[in-house]
Amino acid sequence: MAKKKVAMELGMGTSLRRQDYTKAAIRALQDALWHNSLTMADAFGFSREDMIVEVEIGVQKPEEVDIEAVKAILPYGKGSVRVVHGGLDIAKPASKNPKNADGANPDGADTDNTVIANAAVNVFFDMQPAAGKGART
Amino acid sequence: MKRLILEMGTGNDLYGEDYTKAACRAVQDAIHHSSLVLFRSLGLSHEDMQVNVTIGVQRPELVDTQKVADELPRGHAVVTVVKGGLNVEDTDNGTLSVIATAAIEACLDINPDDWQLSQ
Repeated sequence: MAKKKVAMELGMGTSLRRQDYTKAAIRALQDALWHNSLTMADAFGFSREDMIVEVEIGVQKPEEVDIEAVKAILPYGKGSVRVVHGGLDIAKPASKNPKNADGANPDGADTDNTVIANAAVNVFFDMQPAAGKGART
Repeated sequence: MKRLILEMGTGNDLYGEDYTKAACRAVQDAIHHSSLVLFRSLGLSHEDMQVNVTIGVQRPELVDTQKVADELPRGHAVVTVVKGGLNVEDTDNGTLSVIATAAIEACLDINPDDWQLSQ
């Protein structure tokens, strides 16, 4: 026995105006993590720092995700982040609002796409039955 | 019994004022943000899992707890309903939106002495 997966957490995050793939990824990770409170380490008598946390992010432009910034969200454990092509980008309809005719975007920040990121967090322990125990596996 | 996880979710019934429907949706939201993979990985049985469901809605007496319990796919579920959640009233349009919160604890009888970290 070695690395055993004990939990998976799922989340979704967006960047509505700035096409910020890192921010969408961070929000997806936070959505995944903060929908649950994992208390398994304590149940097994392990430390939370013994958790191996593997994050997988899906966005349409993986190369634009700052992996270190995403990793910095993880509160404990040994973390790693992988980004793949996924998530979803949706084009915005062009504004036909005459009130927005000039200087259409008050903060100049609007862009053409709404960005959606998916996050999956896999949690492992490098664990095994104690000597002479746990024959159930 | 050791708690493995606390799963949290929210659900609503926007215009039907159905507190049970909102509660069931909150349960679905809570349970589908995670998976307890350890049952497969470690060969543990779901049957032994105790599932404590707490629902918060503004009218607890209107929640059908059996229907809420039926939403849980595995383990032995016990449903408690308390006053909580949120009702959003639109007086202009005469509508009431019901929001339910669900907190779900999954518990299992684990003896820490049975397991150790790999060296």
